Amino acid sequence: MKIVIGLFLRASVVLTGIALATFALLWNAPGDPALAIALARYDAIVTPDLVNEIREQAGFNAGFWPAFQAWFGPILMGDFGNSSVNGRPVLPDLMSSVSYTFPLGIAALAIGMALSLPLAILSTKRPGGWLDRFAIAVASIGNAIPAYWLGLLLILLFAVQLAWLPAMGARTPSHAILPALTLGLGVAASLTRIIRSGILEARGQSFLPALSRRGVPQNSISKDHIALHAAIPVVTVFGLELAFLLEGLVMVEVIFARPGLGSFLVEAIGARDFPKVQAAVLLTALIFVVVNLLIDLFYKVLDPRIGDHDA
Amino acid sequence: MTLQVFDLSAIRSGQAILHPTSLSIELGTRIGLVGSSGSGKSTLGHAIVDALRAQNKRVAHVPQSPDEALDPLRSFKFHWHEAERALDLAHDVSKQRTLFSALKIEDADLRKRPWSWSRGMQQRFVIAMALIGTPDLIVLDEPTSALDPIVAAKTMELLRDHLADKDVAMLLITHDLGLATQHVDRLIVLDKGKVVEDASTHGILVAPKSPAAKSLSTHRSWLSLPC
Ligand SMILES: Nc1ncnc2c1ncn2[C@@H]1O[C@H](COP(=O)(O)OP(=O)(O)OP(=O)(O)O)[C@@H](O)[C@H]1O
Ligand SMILES: [Mg+2]
Repeated sequence: MKIVIGLFLRASVVLTGIALATFALLWNAPGDPALAIALARYDAIVTPDLVNEIREQAGFNAGFWPAFQAWFGPILMGDFGNSSVNGRPVLPDLMSSVSYTFPLGIAALAIGMALSLPLAILSTKRPGGWLDRFAIAVASIGNAIPAYWLGLLLILLFAVQLAWLPAMGARTPSHAILPALTLGLGVAASLTRIIRSGILEARGQSFLPALSRRGVPQNSISKDHIALHAAIPVVTVFGLELAFLLEGLVMVEVIFARPGLGSFLVEAIGARDFPKVQAAVLLTALIFVVVNLLIDLFYKVLDPRIGDHDA
Repeated sequence: MTLQVFDLSAIRSGQAILHPTSLSIELGTRIGLVGSSGSGKSTLGHAIVDALRAQNKRVAHVPQSPDEALDPLRSFKFHWHEAERALDLAHDVSKQRTLFSALKIEDADLRKRPWSWSRGMQQRFVIAMALIGTPDLIVLDEPTSALDPIVAAKTMELLRDHLADKDVAMLLITHDLGLATQHVDRLIVLDKGKVVEDASTHGILVAPKSPAAKSLSTHRSWLSLPC
């Protein structure tokens, strides 16, 4: 219980810090945000009077701290404010874009796990064998290929050449296949390496020979002991993996012209729609913090040597 | 019946740490394997266990350190059940309780993982695990070096009682001649990976022939030890 409260305290501090940092970044970004908003709003020639009016409205004339408070205060109550471009509340738009991004992210993770786990296990059957080298080669290439390139390649092959799958938009579930595959292959590449080295390291544990000498069958040793030890590095890097995944999601949504958090963010940044940018960044940070919190908790259950905990 | 192993050897990093060694062990006998630190006692112990297992003999082994015996991520309970399953035995609560109380770990929490018990307690748990079944040979690698003298004496007593009416051979690895004289009838002296002497305990103590045996018996005032 004490651990949980501590973790929550830490999470709130991190989130407040992130809110402050993004606000400061946007506040000090080059260019005139009022002008950008005016352009996004009216899409025509704008007069200096109009720009001034927007500046006053958006609170840019007040100092940094009053502006920060005016934004962050309501957020604590769950009010993310209104878009400075179209005046609509930010939260519903944000949620609807998340409803596209979240399933895509889960699908990518699922594909990544489904590919990397068997590949890593197969490759460690005979370390240094041709299968192992093949797996390492595939994983290295997969790691080196950026998501936008792989995405375009998949579009060319499956949408243009073979015409099996749609490439643009998000109308049907089949629209999600190519984006999910693009991301999933990237996830699989990095996970394969981590799981592989986790298994190899776990196999070197000094207590393993004693288990065989005790008569424990080899498959029980793999299942009950090696798998558990190999899971630790995988859990450790999972937070980092998520960062790459979010980055990839933004890219893939733009390439495949999908609505979602990535498109939401890119659009909002273009229009200098501060409330929207802030909300998207804060939500991303929240996901991060929550996932890392869960990882911490899971880690403590998995390995009691980290912190005190009874199993 | 006699247990026999032939031409056991071990090479690590290109160096022979155990030269070809053959041994026969009568069932029901107690043998001590002594030698200075680094002479290859543990290595020979492992080789004997592995060779006998390959002959489908039943062998129990207590490694030198509990770190080599227990998975730090698994509870004691898990290890116990796993050891029973490995021997095709059903879970026997009364046997477990008897062993634990004899080894004075009956009050410890089995749901904990190795980390949270003291090393001496872990060591006794591993010894208890080795006594679950009835093997042909039990190899104990310095079983009492992590225990205080009183618990060590009790542990050796338990082992003696446990093996008394059974046809189980025991190989006690130690560099403690005092311990060996109390518990074994035959001594094997190892020096730099070679068996340099193999005779009755009494014979070696009275008239050690090899330099290794001589130095062991002169550097250890074995008669004054409590166990
Ligand atoms: N992996 C290894 N690589 C190189 N040398 C090794 C390796 N493992 C063991 N040795 C060497 O083998 C020799 C015998 O080791 P062993 O553990 O069998 O000795 P021991 O008699 O059990 O010693 P102790 O009384 O300290 O337990 C030592 O000299 C050790 O340095
Ligand atoms: Mg040793």
